[in-house]
Amino acid sequence: MLQEISDWLSHSQLNAIFSDTTRLETWLIIPLSQSLHILGIGILMIAIAVLNLQLLGIRVTRFSFAENSARWMPWIWTALAILLVTGLVQIIAEPTREIMNYTFRIKMIMLAIVLALTVTYRRQVKKDPNYWSGARKNLAFSLASLSLFLWLGIIAAGRLVAYVGGIETF
Amino acid sequence: MWDLLTWIDSTQFAETIRISLWIFPALEIAHVAAIAIVLGSIARVDLRLAGFVSRDRSISEISHEMLPWTWASFALATLFGVLLFVGQPLRYVEVAFFDVKILLIVLAGVNMLVFEYVTRRGVGRWDRAPIPPVQVRIAGGLSLAFWISVLVCGRLIGFV
Repeated sequence: MLQEISDWLSHSQLNAIFSDTTRLETWLIIPLSQSLHILGIGILMIAIAVLNLQLLGIRVTRFSFAENSARWMPWIWTALAILLVTGLVQIIAEPTREIMNYTFRIKMIMLAIVLALTVTYRRQVKKDPNYWSGARKNLAFSLASLSLFLWLGIIAAGRLVAYVGGIETF
Repeated sequence: MWDLLTWIDSTQFAETIRISLWIFPALEIAHVAAIAIVLGSIARVDLRLAGFVSRDRSISEISHEMLPWTWASFALATLFGVLLFVGQPLRYVEVAFFDVKILLIVLAGVNMLVFEYVTRRGVGRWDRAPIPPVQVRIAGGLSLAFWISVLVCGRLIGFV
């Protein structure tokens, strides 16, 4: 199925525009979208680092975890919106390079896990501001370590797509 | 200058970075990850200076919160960037995007110094202002524009 989506995108009108390297304005689409993607990652990483480090017991701000998670959520969603749009532009421009690549697929799986964890932190603490302290402190510590580890993996995988994991296609 | 670069290029160290299959991608991952943090933390401070976000918190509080991240990641980005450069110094200086990128980093630095030593005087009057005075907003906007341009130029180096 992924192969079909990749093939379909390869023959789409948008792909023809995004991958046209003969004109300056279309040649710039990929580097510009990659740059904005890195900016989005930076904003997201700061938010994720502040929240997860706090769960590890390292306080970066004067706010409680409940307050911080509320404050940073809009940054997280804004950054994710930027990442989604710029990521889609890159997928449409080079579908085979992204979709037909194991490194990219692993990156998407890690992303799904981390987002589920982040939403869970927020949901629980919204109901009970002290949810992640007391008896659940160790669980919070483990989940935060996993989150930070996966985030670094996501960034590494994103760059590694350019080097490894390509699936042979015909 | 050219002699120095030629010498760097001829060292065993440069050769190792050039021929290894994994050193370059590894350095690149570290460089990009550090740059992401530089941009993310600076964007937050600049957007506050420009009066767009976190209007209920003082500028100095946001700066204190973010600047350690900015400096630590800038130091790492520079370290890994220099190592990437050492692999092919003669090639990079001939890429216009590289030269423009270095110039833009210098301009971002000058903008920061002007803000720190001139504009920031009298910070007490506007530190808590939801929308700071226009010269402060311009400093924030310029900073963000410089850093995004640095980012774009850096990425473009890989495309030529």
